[in-house]
Amino acid sequence: MKKLLLVSLCFLMLSITQVFAQDRTVSGTVTGKDDGQPIPGVTVKVKGSNIGTQTNSAGKFTLSVPPDAILVFSFISYATTEQRVPVSGVVNVGLSTEARGLSEVVVTSEGINREKRTLGYSAPTVSNAELTEGGNPSALTSLTGRIAGANITSTSNTPGGSTRIVLRGGSSITGDNQALLVVDGVPIDNSSIIGGASSLTAVDFGNRGNDIDPNDIASITVLKGPAAAALYGSRASNGALMITTKSGAKNGKKLEITLNSTNTLSSVLKLPTFQNEYGQGYMSGSATSPGYVSGINDASDNFSWGGPFNGKEEPWGQDIDGVTQTKPYSALPNNIKDFFKTGFAADNNLGIASGDEKNSFYLAINSLNSSGVFPSNDNYNKYGVRFNGKATLANNFTASVNFNYNKIQANTPSGGQGANGIWNNLMQTPRDIPINTMGNISNKYDGYNSLTNTYGFYGAFTVNPYYILQNFTNLDDVNRVTGDVNLAYKPFSWLNIVERVGVDTYSDRRKLIAPKYNFEPADESGSGLWGPINNNGSYEVDQINVSEVVHDLMVTATHKFGDDFNTSLLLGNNIRERSVSSNYTSTNTSGGLVVPGWYNLENSNGPVDVITDDIDIRRLVGFYADLNLSYKDYLFLEGTVRNDRSSTLPLDNYSYYYPSVSGSFVFSELLKNNSSFDFLSYGKLRSSFAQVGSDTDPYQLTTTYAKTTVNGSFGNTTFPFGNVPAYQIGSTLGNSTLQPEKTSSFEIGTELAFLQSRLSFDFSYYVNDSKNQILSIPIPNSTGYSFSVVNAGEIQNKGIELTVSGTPIKTTDVTWNLFGTFTKNNSDVLSLPNGVSQVVIGGFGGMAIVAAKGMPYGEFYAVTNQTDAQGRTIINQATGQPMPTTEAKYLGSYDPKFQTSLGTDLKYKNFTLSVLFDVKHGGVLYSDTKSLVDFVGTGIETGGPRFGQPFPNSVYQNSSGQSVPNTKIPYSVYTYYTSVIPTGMDVIDASYIKMRSASISYTLTRDQLKSLPFGALTIGVFGNNLFLWTPKSNAYVDPEVNSSGAGNEQGLDFAANPSVRNYGINLKVSF
Amino acid sequence: MNRKYRFNLKQALFIGLVAAVGFSGCKKYLDINQNPNNPASVEPSLLLPTTQAALSQVVGNSFQVFGNFWAQYWTQSPLASQYKSMDQYSSVGTDFNSPWLNIYSVALVNADLIINNTASSDNLKGIAYIMKAYGYQLATDAFGDVPLSQALQPTKYINPKYDTQQVVYDSIFVYINKALPLLNSTSSASPGSQDMIFQGDMAQWVAFANTLELRAYLRLSIKDPTTAQAGIVALYKTNPTFLTEDATITYTATGGNENPFYNESVALGETQNVVASSTVVDAFTKNNDPRLGKFFATVSSTAPSDSLQSIPQGGFLIDAYKKVAAPSPLVGATATDPTSATAPVKLISAAESYFLQAEAVARGWGTGDVTALYEAGITASFTATGAGDPTTYINTAPDGLPALTAAVTVDDKVKAIITQKYYAMCGFQGFEAWTEWRRTGYPTFFITSKASIIAAGQMPLRMLYPNSELVSNSNYPGTIPIYTPVWWGLQLP
Repeated sequence: MKKLLLVSLCFLMLSITQVFAQDRTVSGTVTGKDDGQPIPGVTVKVKGSNIGTQTNSAGKFTLSVPPDAILVFSFISYATTEQRVPVSGVVNVGLSTEARGLSEVVVTSEGINREKRTLGYSAPTVSNAELTEGGNPSALTSLTGRIAGANITSTSNTPGGSTRIVLRGGSSITGDNQALLVVDGVPIDNSSIIGGASSLTAVDFGNRGNDIDPNDIASITVLKGPAAAALYGSRASNGALMITTKSGAKNGKKLEITLNSTNTLSSVLKLPTFQNEYGQGYMSGSATSPGYVSGINDASDNFSWGGPFNGKEEPWGQDIDGVTQTKPYSALPNNIKDFFKTGFAADNNLGIASGDEKNSFYLAINSLNSSGVFPSNDNYNKYGVRFNGKATLANNFTASVNFNYNKIQANTPSGGQGANGIWNNLMQTPRDIPINTMGNISNKYDGYNSLTNTYGFYGAFTVNPYYILQNFTNLDDVNRVTGDVNLAYKPFSWLNIVERVGVDTYSDRRKLIAPKYNFEPADESGSGLWGPINNNGSYEVDQINVSEVVHDLMVTATHKFGDDFNTSLLLGNNIRERSVSSNYTSTNTSGGLVVPGWYNLENSNGPVDVITDDIDIRRLVGFYADLNLSYKDYLFLEGTVRNDRSSTLPLDNYSYYYPSVSGSFVFSELLKNNSSFDFLSYGKLRSSFAQVGSDTDPYQLTTTYAKTTVNGSFGNTTFPFGNVPAYQIGSTLGNSTLQPEKTSSFEIGTELAFLQSRLSFDFSYYVNDSKNQILSIPIPNSTGYSFSVVNAGEIQNKGIELTVSGTPIKTTDVTWNLFGTFTKNNSDVLSLPNGVSQVVIGGFGGMAIVAAKGMPYGEFYAVTNQTDAQGRTIINQATGQPMPTTEAKYLGSYDPKFQTSLGTDLKYKNFTLSVLFDVKHGGVLYSDTKSLVDFVGTGIETGGPRFGQPFPNSVYQNSSGQSVPNTKIPYSVYTYYTSVIPTGMDVIDASYIKMRSASISYTLTRDQLKSLPFGALTIGVFGNNLFLWTPKSNAYVDPEVNSSGAGNEQGLDFAANPSVRNYGINLKVSF
Repeated sequence: MNRKYRFNLKQALFIGLVAAVGFSGCKKYLDINQNPNNPASVEPSLLLPTTQAALSQVVGNSFQVFGNFWAQYWTQSPLASQYKSMDQYSSVGTDFNSPWLNIYSVALVNADLIINNTASSDNLKGIAYIMKAYGYQLATDAFGDVPLSQALQPTKYINPKYDTQQVVYDSIFVYINKALPLLNSTSSASPGSQDMIFQGDMAQWVAFANTLELRAYLRLSIKDPTTAQAGIVALYKTNPTFLTEDATITYTATGGNENPFYNESVALGETQNVVASSTVVDAFTKNNDPRLGKFFATVSSTAPSDSLQSIPQGGFLIDAYKKVAAPSPLVGATATDPTSATAPVKLISAAESYFLQAEAVARGWGTGDVTALYEAGITASFTATGAGDPTTYINTAPDGLPALTAAVTVDDKVKAIITQKYYAMCGFQGFEAWTEWRRTGYPTFFITSKASIIAAGQMPLRMLYPNSELVSNSNYPGTIPIYTPVWWGLQLP
């Protein structure tokens, strides 16, 4: 490796002395052929070189070029056009539009611009217009349905909510499977650190990849496989999103100010479907005879297992000051729906772009202020500043700075089963209780009185969700700076040296507050139905600091051999350091607070609990080379090799190499003069093979001791115990002989365009294989340990991706585009170490989400009802109840069997209508919401006859073990849903169709603008996550909700907060 | 026009030098993987509380609930649902992941680290051996065949095989006998306060070792009487001391140092999940036993008039009554009463010690007076519960002295002793009471849980192997149903 660098350095030295030919200046204007309007942002490049610029807001450009240069003009959704520089030095070009996806310039590894045709792998690009069309403040969510091969899941679709993006199924059993995010060439952190103790009591504080404002993004190029990102090393083994932020237009005559203002309303997308036949109460009795106990006899209950509604005026709730309230015993169909309010968000982005011949800048400030659908204490506020500046200096130096600062302050309601779980408490409301009217906590029948320490709320098993919202808070405060400094030196036209230092650093401070209370019922009825409600309270402070510094030195040399061969060679060095410190401290978990209402660690009842106090530092040094060869305009070959040295691996084994090779053949170039192939506008074949090596997390090499905590299923014993200290051996066996892991991928694909690019296809087939993974595998506890770090396991993803786009109508007034994607990925956990049949990646005691040998990744594993060969449920002849399986069963993966999307843009004069649908088919989720509404008897399944019916489609087994259809033996619906139903029955079909986004906008023409002080004006209405269709078996939740944020634990609705639909109005105006 | 490339030697040398310096520093730059967050080694005495607290967590929490349910002291409250699968006999492997982990990966592995550390004092090692014997007995009594010979050696055996229960018992006796000389070593430094059970009182540890040995041999009394007899006779030849005090960890009200079951109740939102089972309440009532009011808290005066003190085992669904007596804070089981925090966890109780000795004498293998030991057992239980003077109870309760006096055969005597031991263990030692029922079939008044969803007539006779072993150990012996007895157990009912 030393040799490589030396060679590169010598190469650099040698080149300094070379002399080159005289450049000349060309200038011109780029307009659209359709409308003659200037097009800003068009890339103008000298063919076969890296010399280039972009057009300014007036569509003008100036460029210094070598003699005989051919200029290549390219822009998203326009056909790439070439033009020889005439003697005049003025080049005016009209670009014609074409179907998306062709001849684009894309941003590949290390922020290098490449013409898409030269790539041997799939690299779709999404433009700012597409990203912002649906008005979603998450750039990641806005990619949904636009990229074949991407599986994007947005938990709540609220500002700041989590979005997970996995390309081609992900490559790791226990590691991060999300795509790497790269902004302007610098990787940024995309941690998803949920709040709360676990996904069972989760607060979704989002993932950091959503911090970036989509308004600041010029485009996102998706590099799907490791081939595309070989030069990013380990972290790009799951692909990468190359995000390019806006830059100032050069040569702008004037300052361009753009204001983008969006006002959004939101409402809950999907609530469970409830039964409206039975009200508050429970049952005694048997499978054939009801024994309803309802009304005032069970006024404290969370159950809707009482008698059928009769509409009679009846007393309910507690007897306070001698009065018991009355209400009709009848269903309130909207009591849950009306608990929620309409959320509102105001998102404003003000951008200023300017530049002259040598310098340009883009300055933007933005604010996003939102309050969510929960009635209080649900808000998310984000403020940001971005500055991108570039200066051309003397002596062939260019310098640029990209800087972004974000501040986020949020208060996020908690999901999950804890005392603070709003959804969990709300869902336990009987069908006849007017919970939506009980928001006045000072009302003696609805609230809790901390002066008298009494409560009047009807429920003994739940807490008024309004009270929870007002008193349990989860505050988040993030301060983040990302940016980079670039210095480029171009001593000769054929040599470019770039030095870049990037940084991403943030502080994430969280305060989780639970009140201390001890309420006695105010009830005077003497019924004894209500008991005390207690909480010891708690205060937790979590401080997370992440800091990542990246250095890159890249030397690129280009050379042309004869007329037809172009070569370029890039040599690079990459150094990065990432440090993460996590400091979680709380008042004593068991003892809670001493003084109610005071939230400070000094108020701890018992020793303060240090939950986590860790610092992790890792470093990596990489060297890479990238050789590009092209023959004429149709044959391209690229080879890369990289060497990484990682601090996380054993020192004598810390260096590893990996190569990639890819090629592309634009066969349409050979056919362009053949009239029988006129129908073919563009045709390309591509293929690639790549390997990526990966290191691991820090501190995996040794086994260490830790302060002792003995965990029970829920509680624990902590030390010091009085004055007695204790330590224990760590549960994970370290491994001092770890090897780097390898992911290899193969891809073959084609891009085809027909009929003047009115119809185009992009198809890929790929196989990704990750072997020898560094895994913390579960080992039998009888070894004395729980996990062992090993090199083992293999996971394979195979799949196809198809993107189709077409323009059925194109006239002066009307343009109608259609596009769609299809993705099918099959993941398979091919091997695990001997004896290990599964690695748990999530779930809880009775239900695990696992990577199981021979199964797709993310398989659910739980006890379910026994069924016979025909799929009929086997019942117990004595009780009529289904019998549970004796062991847990595999019930399907959270990954969909296939995904597809369909979108359309219709332009009519000034109007643009856009709609996008996306579909996930197959895959399952676990719904605790289903479990909850079934348990309390409010779910739709619990409606209808509750007695005397046999279990649907059931059989019993006779003495010879044969199935006999059960038509007579009844079961108690009450007993089944309150105590028999196994966890596996709450694993349901996660398929869905969504209207992902829709918008109508009106853009003023130049003529209309003449009398107005605006350069451009667009006004529109939009919506995202608007409509959802699920199979009948999912009458409960949006299948995208997830209690574990953007991690590998997916498909887990553990009373997760609901997702929302957003709709609003958008104004975009520039001066 | 191309100019000739010129090589500038000076500049090249300079850059070469920079590169060389950079590279020699590369390894140093990357040598930062020493874990700053956790120590690489600790004093062995720091591991002892871990082992003791882990065993106490198992006996006092997970096995406490299973044991008290399956010994029919407690049943699921109709107002909650946390433990209903225990009454339904529908427990699954995952329910046992936690206790198995605490026995092997917390208690036994750290005990082994003490034993194998040359820096450990004799007394410390002795206690570690006793804890190891206790832990293995706990594991095998619960699960039957368990890993032992290949356990706790991950570098040699990543998939430990399961040894038969007989072999496990053989090893338990070996560990106890290895421990005794170490416990008796007077030159050794005492572990002092690091010993959470006896604070370094080695005489108590010797008594604990002897009582544990007696308990272990008696467990084999029906399946392998020859071994049991030989072992007990040999034990008595050493003039053994037995426990006269409870071997407990004393928990406090400090958060995280509370009685483990109470601590779990707090974590579950102070929901009262467990209530009195009619099986034991009826038996106490029949004997007019003053301990009933000590083991269970009375129902509050505001309860509905139709409330009961207890419901039949597993009656949480069929019974429409919603208020049932809760176990008392004395046994750590009143979820809403903070005094539950200080309830002890009894690894072996004084009462148990006397009843074990009484049985050894009744069987003719030990020496002493059966009646005196029997009465001492009842008295110890009355003392532990604060139930006052036991004289009237001993002399008049049908299951008191009259039962022993009326017993003619050895088996009848054992029945009286075990039944009386059953009363003493209520709420305190549910697992041991259920285990002795599995060994002897006493007491005889258990019912099948009303909530059972397994075949009629089947009752839990073992715990299931944890799911964690099923999915990670290639030597997993297969799932054995809950109603199959362990090697030393009877097929009941």
